[in-house]
Amino acid sequence: MLNKDAIQSIIFRALESINDERKLEDQILISAETSLFGADAVLDSLSLVSVIVDVESALSDASGREISLTDDRAMSQSVSPFSDVSTLTKYISLLIAESA
Amino acid sequence: MTEVEAYAGKCALITGSRRGVGRLIAEHLLKHGARVIGFARGAATYAHPRYDHFQVDIGDPASVLKGFSDLKKCVDTVHIVVNNAAVLTSQYSMIMPPASAQAMLNTNLLGPFLVSREASKLMRKNKWGRIINIGSMAASLEPIGDSMYAACKAGLATLSNVMAKELAPLNVTCNTLAVSAIKTDMLAQLPQDKIAQVIAGLPIPRFAEPDDILNVVDFLASERSSYITAQTIYLGGVN
Repeated sequence: MLNKDAIQSIIFRALESINDERKLEDQILISAETSLFGADAVLDSLSLVSVIVDVESALSDASGREISLTDDRAMSQSVSPFSDVSTLTKYISLLIAESA
Repeated sequence: MTEVEAYAGKCALITGSRRGVGRLIAEHLLKHGARVIGFARGAATYAHPRYDHFQVDIGDPASVLKGFSDLKKCVDTVHIVVNNAAVLTSQYSMIMPPASAQAMLNTNLLGPFLVSREASKLMRKNKWGRIINIGSMAASLEPIGDSMYAACKAGLATLSNVMAKELAPLNVTCNTLAVSAIKTDMLAQLPQDKIAQVIAGLPIPRFAEPDDILNVVDFLASERSSYITAQTIYLGGVN
């Protein structure tokens, strides 16, 4: 089963892919606190979609099953799973634990 | 580049590829060098070294996901999508079976959405893609009996236009080719007098020929059409 560090690495790789397409001065500072969604978000909407798609794809490859990060449950959380890297990591850990 | 090589190096996904317009387009792209993946509910009706066929019900989200999972075992990406699969029941609304209406909604509108949704995730990596939705003159002519079919095809053009905006930053175009009547199994289901009446009312009063369709497919799929998106092209003078 994917642990927290492995999940965070997957998210970091997705953010690095975004950086690969950005100019040097527009690079995202990647850490557990990197804000993904909301007023302080470092991503525009299409970049966030790209990160979600990359993370879903990598999780499916690693776990061998389809994992959706954008179902009704994700959208109805009191704290958005996409607030920052750490909240997304926790949410994915929860999804994986429940499906194990 | 010769005409034969026009699609060399390109992978095209065509839904409803077993027969009719889907098969016509699939065979055209194969002839001109493409790798073609076909999605259809039934088994393949032809074979080619560069053709792979998967039995997919595009109106079923789980079936589409399974289809793309299988597709990714064959090819790394998809460059061109032709959302062609469609079903038609022509009947007065008051006596249209709800199941038939639902089937049209699933296959003719939800299906292209689901297929485009998954394909665009692959196109995103290439920063190149062409989505061609096969619409219908019914969206404009609104013929009696085609309430749900025409609504789905009108919705398909709108779906196409919204996705065109979403996908433009990824260099993916999304357009609709609204075909007029062409002699296919689907058309054969309709009363011949009704078809003759529709044809007679067209500005160019004849059936569409295969090349009328392939000409526009080639145009929309070409490198040079990167600035053409969110457009609906009607055949036969319909607008």
